[in-house]
Amino acid sequence: MMKNKRLFSTTILIGLLIGMIAGCGSGRQSFDELVTPDSEIRVYEIFGMDCPGCHGGVENLIGKVEGVLASKANWEKGTLQVLIADGSNVTDEIIFEAIKKANFTPGKRLK
Amino acid sequence: MKAYKNKRRMISLALVALIMTALFAPTIANAGGISIDAGLTPAVNRIMVRSQMRILERYSESMMGGGTMKMEMRILPVMVAYGVRSDLTVMARMAHVWSDMTMSGSSMPMMNGKTSSSGFGDLLLLAKYRMVRINKPGYTLGIAPTLALELPTGSDGIGSDSYDLRGGVFFSGRHKSWAMDLDLSYINNGTALANDNEINPGDEYGIDIALARQFGLGSNAMLAIAPVLEASYKKTTPDIINDVDVMDTGESVTTLAPGLKLTYGSLIFEGLVRFPVSQEQEGMQTEHKTMFLFGFRLMN
Repeated sequence: MMKNKRLFSTTILIGLLIGMIAGCGSGRQSFDELVTPDSEIRVYEIFGMDCPGCHGGVENLIGKVEGVLASKANWEKGTLQVLIADGSNVTDEIIFEAIKKANFTPGKRLK
Repeated sequence: MKAYKNKRRMISLALVALIMTALFAPTIANAGGISIDAGLTPAVNRIMVRSQMRILERYSESMMGGGTMKMEMRILPVMVAYGVRSDLTVMARMAHVWSDMTMSGSSMPMMNGKTSSSGFGDLLLLAKYRMVRINKPGYTLGIAPTLALELPTGSDGIGSDSYDLRGGVFFSGRHKSWAMDLDLSYINNGTALANDNEINPGDEYGIDIALARQFGLGSNAMLAIAPVLEASYKKTTPDIINDVDVMDTGESVTTLAPGLKLTYGSLIFEGLVRFPVSQEQEGMQTEHKTMFLFGFRLMN
């Protein structure tokens, strides 16, 4: 009984650690590395971020939008920069939806 | 004579085991730390991993036989949270516990000595629902009720023998760089007992308030430091057996905990010192001493 409990607990703990490693293992290029002089960079107002830890949540979701190469949030300025791929057709509404999924609220498009 | 000594030793060990079991479960459950900034649910698909080392001590000068008792514990909880939807977060938490209990000066010599034990605590499964989230320029408000179940999966003598149901609600407010979080919680310990144990462990009521101010450091908004002040009140009702309160169980404690949180991108380091400002225990029980907590949080 005791051994079974220990085995169960150890399995759960290992699962948690694997989850942690999987969560950290993204090898994406950063926003700054991808920017070229011809890049289209949009800037949006975003409300609800209160620390640097908020950046990852919204950047991950914006990064999954087709036609978006990368994004960069700034909690102090309350802004989100979005790098758009050449020839893509990303609308502001799609970006706004992704911001809402991150539990933040989109404001105006500033640029 | 030898049989008599063995019997006394067995009774003493049983008493020690009973005391430890009674003390461990609420101690593990109550030691929240900088965890009440969770009123704002994370983004969908976001994974958070969090771990802490909690070092705490309990002490009593008036135990059985006039002796003293000191209990030192190190608790290492690991928690994983996942944003299933933007309005629903699920979490799993489990802790490893090391403890040393020293009794001395008792007129019952068999009671004196040091007992050490270690093992896993119970597995806690929790769901948090975003009921309200208002993001406006300059302020954010959030209300998130929670429902949790603690399963009796812990090691013998460390975990509890019951399924415990928990309910609570987080209120979070942000105004510019200030943050305020309030957590009201209720734990129905012994919702369902896992074995023939007829002792129904006491329920717990908690109020936690945290106030913090975030200071951005550097020019790229990646680094921030936040002094934090937490205040907590916890009340544990006495255990019950056959509709009668069990002696030496039940307590209430109010604590204050100043601390510091350092955020670098998706990694947060946190530390605090929690000290009791008032406490009341029923009968002969150990008192809470200062607790030290430090840990990290990692988000994908």
